Amino acid sequence: MKIALFDAPGNNGDFAGNPGLAAKWSAHMSATFDAGVQRVNDALAEAGGGTSQFYNPVTHGLTGPDVTPASAGDITWNGFPRKFLGAGPGAPPNFAAAEAPVVPGQAREQDEYLEWHVTRNPAGKIASVQFTCEGYDYYEFLGTEAPDVLVALYQKFIDPAVKKADLFSGGKYQRLNKWNTRDGAMHLTQSANALSAEVFLAADATVRRKNAAGAEVTSAIPLTICARFGDEDRNSDPTIGAGVNSFARQNRMITLADPVGLYIDQLDESGFRLPDGKPTTGWFTVQRGSAGHPLRAVFAPPAGSVFTVSDVKIGGTAVTFGGQIAQHITMKLTGVASIATPVHNPLVPCAGTSVSASVAASATSGLATRRGM
Amino acid sequence: MARGTSAEAEPVLDIHDIQGNILTAFNKDHQRLVALRLRGIPAARRWLMRILPHINSLAEVNQFNNLYRMQSARLGHSPRGLTATWMNIAFSRDGIAKLTSDADADLLPDASFLTGLDKARAQFLGDQAPSGGDDPTVDWVVGGTNCPVDIFMILAGDDDMALRSMVERLRPGQEDGAEAPETVWEEQGDARDDLPGHEHFGFKDGISQPGVRGLLSKRPKLYLTERHLKPPPSETIEFAKPGQPLIWPGHFVLGYPFGDRDDGSRQDAVPLARSWFRNGSFLVFRRLEQHVAAFAAFVAAETARLSQLPGFSGITPDHLGALMVGRWPSGAPISRAPGQDDADLAKDPLSNNDFLFTIDTPPPQFLPGRGKGVGNFLRAMEGTNGPICPHAGHVFKVNPRDRSTDIGPDFDTLTRRILRRGIPFGPSLHQPLAGDDGVSRGLHFLCYQASITEQFEKLQQDWANNDDAPTAGGHDLIIGQTATAIRSMVLPPIVPGQAGVTMTAPRQWVTPTGGGYFFAPSIPAIRDVIGAG
Repeated sequence: MKIALFDAPGNNGDFAGNPGLAAKWSAHMSATFDAGVQRVNDALAEAGGGTSQFYNPVTHGLTGPDVTPASAGDITWNGFPRKFLGAGPGAPPNFAAAEAPVVPGQAREQDEYLEWHVTRNPAGKIASVQFTCEGYDYYEFLGTEAPDVLVALYQKFIDPAVKKADLFSGGKYQRLNKWNTRDGAMHLTQSANALSAEVFLAADATVRRKNAAGAEVTSAIPLTICARFGDEDRNSDPTIGAGVNSFARQNRMITLADPVGLYIDQLDESGFRLPDGKPTTGWFTVQRGSAGHPLRAVFAPPAGSVFTVSDVKIGGTAVTFGGQIAQHITMKLTGVASIATPVHNPLVPCAGTSVSASVAASATSGLATRRGM
Repeated sequence: MARGTSAEAEPVLDIHDIQGNILTAFNKDHQRLVALRLRGIPAARRWLMRILPHINSLAEVNQFNNLYRMQSARLGHSPRGLTATWMNIAFSRDGIAKLTSDADADLLPDASFLTGLDKARAQFLGDQAPSGGDDPTVDWVVGGTNCPVDIFMILAGDDDMALRSMVERLRPGQEDGAEAPETVWEEQGDARDDLPGHEHFGFKDGISQPGVRGLLSKRPKLYLTERHLKPPPSETIEFAKPGQPLIWPGHFVLGYPFGDRDDGSRQDAVPLARSWFRNGSFLVFRRLEQHVAAFAAFVAAETARLSQLPGFSGITPDHLGALMVGRWPSGAPISRAPGQDDADLAKDPLSNNDFLFTIDTPPPQFLPGRGKGVGNFLRAMEGTNGPICPHAGHVFKVNPRDRSTDIGPDFDTLTRRILRRGIPFGPSLHQPLAGDDGVSRGLHFLCYQASITEQFEKLQQDWANNDDAPTAGGHDLIIGQTATAIRSMVLPPIVPGQAGVTMTAPRQWVTPTGGGYFFAPSIPAIRDVIGAG
């Protein structure tokens, strides 16, 4: 794949009429990809060097054919946090803990690149559930480069009453502001839920690893631990890493599809029914993003409906938590892999077992805050 | 960290208490299913006490199966004349509630069982309602809205006449009084005469079953599942024989240790609200009608279309079927036989299930004295051109093996496995391309597990029906159900270096026409609680 520019996540339209801002974002992403390539080269250097199988599609884009259909590059995972699943057979998930209220300054515990905010009516019934999968670093970029665009997004999607002063302190954007925690979900808050983390995870996962016995590490969790590219307790990171790594083992060149982002793939509404027996057609609405790249969605009754979200049953079970809906959301990112197989790289020891410790130590703050690093 | 190691003590199973079809299959050529509805409770209890001595235990079925295997090995063929006839029983949530109490029934630890396989749950499973309606179960021949079931009997035998005789003796009858349970549905499944062991689409079925950890006895130390392989390197799944992973019994029977979903390590049993729940298991029954002629017509038409594309030059109907199923009609896995069917591979029990999806599958490391006669077939390999088995191939969708899924790693997948006990029903359709004959045929799908929510329903609803789970690649075109009935799968090219395609199926070839969720209690629980009152 070769592209001229990195577009905004989900082709969200935030840069419309502002080519300067679009160019800045592309440059920002290009630098992030270059940093990802450098991480790979540093790792390969430990094994005598090689060719980074991860590439920047703007500066080093490939014009040869890629794997088809394009959907073959989709890597998917469930949006409900794995850490809140039941402890054993038959034990239900801890839905209450998964959406425990947060206060300003506090991030949510939802760590599958999908976060949600539940709004209840005075009777305690769920009026709506907002879902977002936008990395916080994109909003930090807007906070620096286009604060008025950022404020307008909050006013459009969270509340018209949002003021710039609510979002900034000392001229710096505060991602854990009240409108993005207690009162809404504009974008991801969890420290590891960054777009740069996605790029670095994909880059790191192109490095083929070997354990102390010299055997190639391929299973998702051992690979995650070995390469130190994420949190092994999630659905997402090990699955993303293993998916990318399987392309690498096929000696392919790999990058992330433009627009780079983490997306809501689909909500499976099978078995979602209203008290009148009808399906919840029209209740799940994508609010931001583009076709195939939803960034934000809401589950709420359409105008004129006499029901609330709490009236919905899934397979006969009443909805009492937003997490019950999140359990039926599939997330995705899309990788691009070349058909040609020009690369044969050496296996690299696990991070931390040699000089690669210094590579791990140079991880970004987003990655470094993950458990085990 | 030790992951899934065999060094951890395996529990001794209560082999005289656990019903026999759960952990070691009946494995009979003839199997009758009998669905009952309660009328009078005292009469039901009297009938239960009458049939109680005929409920076969794990100990009995396992001993017979071992004897059968020993004689087969010595003779080189199935031992004629060595036959058995078995019976097991299970109860729906309402059946348990009527025979114990609502409070006790609702303490059983599975949300899906408590809901029951009703209209709402069938909708959840993606089952289609007849046109113009919203109740997928309205026309079901058993279960669902119009034919609720309280008690479900499974009777199976090698000899059809002996089985029929047993059914007559054990089914509630005049001797049990007018208030005895009423038979609301009954149907027999039989192994196909023309293709024993194959389901009606023509594919060998039931090859892949997990190995259940646990001991039959401590002294001498006898495992339920025979071990053929050395313990594996750390951080990898332990297998009993090639392709058969070892899984803690708590995933199939209540009251036993289960495996950690991250590393497979032994976890203490989930506490039970009632002691009599121990040694019970949840049973799923689905009567799956198969539209054989429509399936064959689709495969023929798609083969003709695909063969014109560079990536699928030379493809045959069997090859396309193998891509859709993940196995050739013989049962040979396409991962080990990429180009054509291999009957010898299909017959080799140490090879026909030995394959992984994401790496070059390492050769099995047999224990001393084991592995004799294992064939020398192509090892399953990921290859440089991508996976050979499509991610939407049926065997991948319901058991992605070493592939990380949308909900976790390979050890998590072990916690989703089920023990399948299905058998075909209805006559074979010998010339499917000549069109449908209007006769009902299909599969009596039966499976046991410790959680219907986390096991059967995950496989069907989250994976088979979902085009992007357990990993992206499309729907399971064999068993997947969707609201529109239109499903598609990504086909990687069979000619290296060429483009793959997305293939779309305009309809479903499997229609659920009956079913239910049940609990198969321990034999003492039936004697002392359910049947005792």
